[in-house]
Amino acid sequence: MMVDVLFIGLSLLSVGGALAMLVYKNPMYSALGVLISMLSVAGIFALLNATFLFMVQIIVYAGAIMTLILFILMFLNIREEDLPEEPNKFKLIGLGAIVMIPLNILVIQAVSKLPAKDMLLTDTDFGDLAPIGIVLFDNWLVAFELVSILLLVALIGSVVLAKKRVKRVKNQGDES
Amino acid sequence: MISLTSLAFVSMMLFSIGAIGVISRKNIFVIYMSIEMMLNGINLFLVTFARYHFDMDPQIITIMVIAIAAVEAAIFLSVIILLFRSKKSLDTDVFTTLTQGEKS
Repeated sequence: MMVDVLFIGLSLLSVGGALAMLVYKNPMYSALGVLISMLSVAGIFALLNATFLFMVQIIVYAGAIMTLILFILMFLNIREEDLPEEPNKFKLIGLGAIVMIPLNILVIQAVSKLPAKDMLLTDTDFGDLAPIGIVLFDNWLVAFELVSILLLVALIGSVVLAKKRVKRVKNQGDES
Repeated sequence: MISLTSLAFVSMMLFSIGAIGVISRKNIFVIYMSIEMMLNGINLFLVTFARYHFDMDPQIITIMVIAIAAVEAAIFLSVIILLFRSKKSLDTDVFTTLTQGEKS
């Protein structure tokens, strides 16, 4: 009973945060809505027995990525007139909803055909740190190494993008 | 209440809201956050099926997706800073340098 109330509350919070991201004009409010949504999804992970992913979601998504977005938003010092005009935003949102509804119906019908199983919390160490580490380094070692190379490439790439531009690049842009 | 269908409904709602954000908004920050929201919905779907089949592999895939989202954040945000410095705007209709049309 307690778990059901928690699940309904977290689901409403996550969808509500996503909707707040969709409708607010100011990106600061959108980022706060996304933050609420990420934290609620982390709570649903905890209800689904994924304790390690719960921590990773809070640390990486809410702690690192959203903090980086909020930092960049404050760093850029965006004024009201820099924001794009979106006169028919709600019309486009309605159009997008009409496009997405058939996919939703398809997926939910396909999933509801599956046999029902108990999805409650268990006392086993499923999703704990040690079993995840064993699976990660047994079956997924190549993917793990590739992700580490990808992180290195992203580090170098963001340093290259953030360094001072040479004048020549701008002149070429003006000629064309 | 906490069944497979309700969890699938929540994750598909998150994914659809992200897709609608990519389609309908013009602010480049909101488009980036919509992409994050789509990744989040798919993560929730993967963790749901990990619990359903009592298998650990989807959780590993979720960790990989979170790592790739962090990489994407670093690159995308530095590109946004460069675009904002050169055009002084966040409108996606302004960034038309790579198009072929006569609009420069």
